[in-house]
Amino acid sequence: MLLSVTSFRVMAQGNFSPYSQMGIGDLEDEFYNRTSGLANTGIAYRSNRFLINNNPASFSSLSDQFFVMETGLRGSFISYAGQPVTPASTQSADITFRRLVMGIKAAKHWGTSIGLVPFSTQNYEFNSPYFIQGSATEIANHYYQGHGSVNKAYWANSVEFFHHLSLGVDAGYLFGQLNQKDILQNAGNGASLISTQNTVNLNNIYMTYGLQLYGKIGKKWQYSLGGTYSNRSNLLAATKRLVQNADSSVLQDYGVSENYLTLPSAYGAGLALTYNQRYTLLADFKYQDWTGVSKENTYPGKNYSLISSYRSSVGFEISRKKNYYNNKVELSYFQSGLYYGESYLQINGTQIRDMGATVGFGVNSLKSPLAYSIVFQYGIKGTTSNDLIRQNYANITFNINYGAVWFTKGKKYD
Amino acid sequence: MTIKHNYLKREWLFLLPSIAALFLLVGCQKQPNLTFGPTYVADNGSADIVVVDTSTAIMSTVYTDSTATAGTGYLMVGNYQDTYMGKINTRAFIQIAPPAAPPTLTQFDHYDSIALVMRFIKSSPYYGDTTVPQTFVVNQVDSTYQLGSFQRGFFSNSSLPINPVPLGSATVAIAPNIPFTSQLASDTVIIRLDQNMGATLYNMIYNRSDTILNVSKFLAWFNGLCLSPGAGSQGAIYGFADSNVTMRIYYRENAVLSTQKFIDFTETNKSLQFNNVTSDWTGTALANLTKPSQYAQPPPATPSIKTANASYIQTVGGLGVKLVFPYLNAIAQRPDYLGVLRAQLTVRPVPGSYNNTWRLPPAIGLYATDQNNLIGGAVPATGTSGAQTGNLNLDYFHPLNTAYIYDVTNFVKALITNTTITGIQPGLMLSVPAPANTTEFTRAVLADPTYPVQQRITLSVYYISLYPHN
Repeated sequence: MLLSVTSFRVMAQGNFSPYSQMGIGDLEDEFYNRTSGLANTGIAYRSNRFLINNNPASFSSLSDQFFVMETGLRGSFISYAGQPVTPASTQSADITFRRLVMGIKAAKHWGTSIGLVPFSTQNYEFNSPYFIQGSATEIANHYYQGHGSVNKAYWANSVEFFHHLSLGVDAGYLFGQLNQKDILQNAGNGASLISTQNTVNLNNIYMTYGLQLYGKIGKKWQYSLGGTYSNRSNLLAATKRLVQNADSSVLQDYGVSENYLTLPSAYGAGLALTYNQRYTLLADFKYQDWTGVSKENTYPGKNYSLISSYRSSVGFEISRKKNYYNNKVELSYFQSGLYYGESYLQINGTQIRDMGATVGFGVNSLKSPLAYSIVFQYGIKGTTSNDLIRQNYANITFNINYGAVWFTKGKKYD
Repeated sequence: MTIKHNYLKREWLFLLPSIAALFLLVGCQKQPNLTFGPTYVADNGSADIVVVDTSTAIMSTVYTDSTATAGTGYLMVGNYQDTYMGKINTRAFIQIAPPAAPPTLTQFDHYDSIALVMRFIKSSPYYGDTTVPQTFVVNQVDSTYQLGSFQRGFFSNSSLPINPVPLGSATVAIAPNIPFTSQLASDTVIIRLDQNMGATLYNMIYNRSDTILNVSKFLAWFNGLCLSPGAGSQGAIYGFADSNVTMRIYYRENAVLSTQKFIDFTETNKSLQFNNVTSDWTGTALANLTKPSQYAQPPPATPSIKTANASYIQTVGGLGVKLVFPYLNAIAQRPDYLGVLRAQLTVRPVPGSYNNTWRLPPAIGLYATDQNNLIGGAVPATGTSGAQTGNLNLDYFHPLNTAYIYDVTNFVKALITNTTITGIQPGLMLSVPAPANTTEFTRAVLADPTYPVQQRITLSVYYISLYPHN
């Protein structure tokens, strides 16, 4: 059940993402957690209640014996613009479950978490009329479809040292399936002639290491510095290729194994400053060295290349807390963030840019073990120049957090 | 202790409507139509379609020395000279009989004249230059009008002796599409016949002759008629429906008032009516055609290279076109060949070989054949069972667009992987389908593969291509 949740789409058809036809699709930049309203800025973020997947070193900050489970739901509205977009049809929307994770402070300085999170998503369909090979006059149509996702199941552990240092390891297992179909059609009546379906099953281990260094500056200031590193990994693929006639009779059915894509080394650094336990300012910078693995990535395609990507973001949070018997309990929080990045795709000489802003509001229930947040995000991806597509997107993310104290012998509040 | 707040209630009030709104909004959306993508697609190892239209096609003209022209329902009479087909001449033989109950003539009545009356009704077949008046000659058959021993029927090469002295003739221009004749008798051609013969027949009727009252005796005495084009005339061939051909005796019935009346002699033994077709190919490429050298042998096929790089269809004249594709299985030996998707045969007439006068057959059927050059069963299109007729796209202004097109997928699928040397040599035969095959003189001159690409016969094999994988 756990494995099926993140890739399950509420709508039968998810939003088209034209750039996802390249590489392994759109790489996920979002964590659908407490940092969503901070433009996912959280490499240095530490929380005693929320699971901060941005940095595996963060899990040691959970409250003792505290068990947490979180899930995220995102609704996305996209407006497409650019020369390749048919004017009569420029919008789409979908809702997807994005995340299911859980974690616990297993020991005094040891936090651990398991879960399933999205890694990349592919969802595209397009027509490509072409001259039949051997003819200068006859046209057929390639109807390309690509749907699928790569997810990450992980087990992350972090251990705190000296009350100021936390080290973490996220042992991830990437897996997923990309279903890519090339249907050859009669250009006149759209009748299917032949189809080639590639079912690409991807998998490999993907390790991420993290550290956080934190402490106080004076009485009211707190700081945290964070860093992450993921080493390069070959994404192995077992491809099953099925060629069928229009009547679904099988012409060819065979499998090939190949290195589908090499994921590059990825680096991240972050900073968080908190004043009076109420105001927090955060900043992140992440970098993926796609250029360094360009020789390994011979993914078929024209007029585009995989190039080193980066993402920078800042966030600001106001937390409303109240004292209950000498403990400060957070009641709600307000977040905002800005982000700007350039993706790993360079198409027609233009690197695809992604930028936007987020606003979030969260409530921690005192009556129940739940906490909720709702995040509004508006962003712009791509450009209309160079025959590209610009996607103006608006996302609404719901995050639900369940927290409970486990293994306690004392009385709990009802 | 218990901490009481109303958060839970407020939270659900906040959460549930928001999520419900999200679902409702999304439910109204549909996916955009994006043409983004083709620029970035490279070879992704998918199956593709490759068309090969360079398969060698060997064309031949198959000549059958006789065609079934008996009992067709039309008396085909006339002649013309065609650049490609030479001189075509056709005569019609017919048996006629007196009415079953001839009128009783009195001594006061008197004979007037006799004529052969033929109506050319609309939609009847014709071919040639109809602006030129055509002479029609009527002769009497000079021998017993019957099949010989072991003769199963009359054919296009059949003939009967005729009395060289014609019974009558007429030169008429016929406008076939109105139709109207230059004799100003609407659509009717009237040929005055020998006056003495008419008087003889009139007197026999008056005398209630046994020869008139008994059809067998009449046929044994009269034999029949032969309608032929006049010597030296060159116009067109016309088809007169046999039910509209009558030998008519005109007489006057004298009573208080004198009334013109007539007695009709109409066709009998319909199955014995036949058209004798002859062709004189002198001076044309067809002169090189191989003719049968023995009494019974397969119709000989003459390669197009011997007949001006063209092959000829005029089924009523015994001409059909045979196609064989000797190297078709070379396609199946390509490394990327996976299977035949479809195959299309495009047959194009030689540009300039046809016009409004020298019309193309509106339908040419596609049949199976083999080394015996005989017409086999129809070759249907994929998913159908009926015969194909080529769906002629006739374009006089852009002749290169004029073509007959056939779906030969099933034929090619069977042939392309057949490496067995059986000696059957399967091929295709192009022939005008029935019933036009016995009455239509329309012809097609088909360009062989030596013609430029857009003018010649082409077999386009669309095969599924998938390059070998590891």
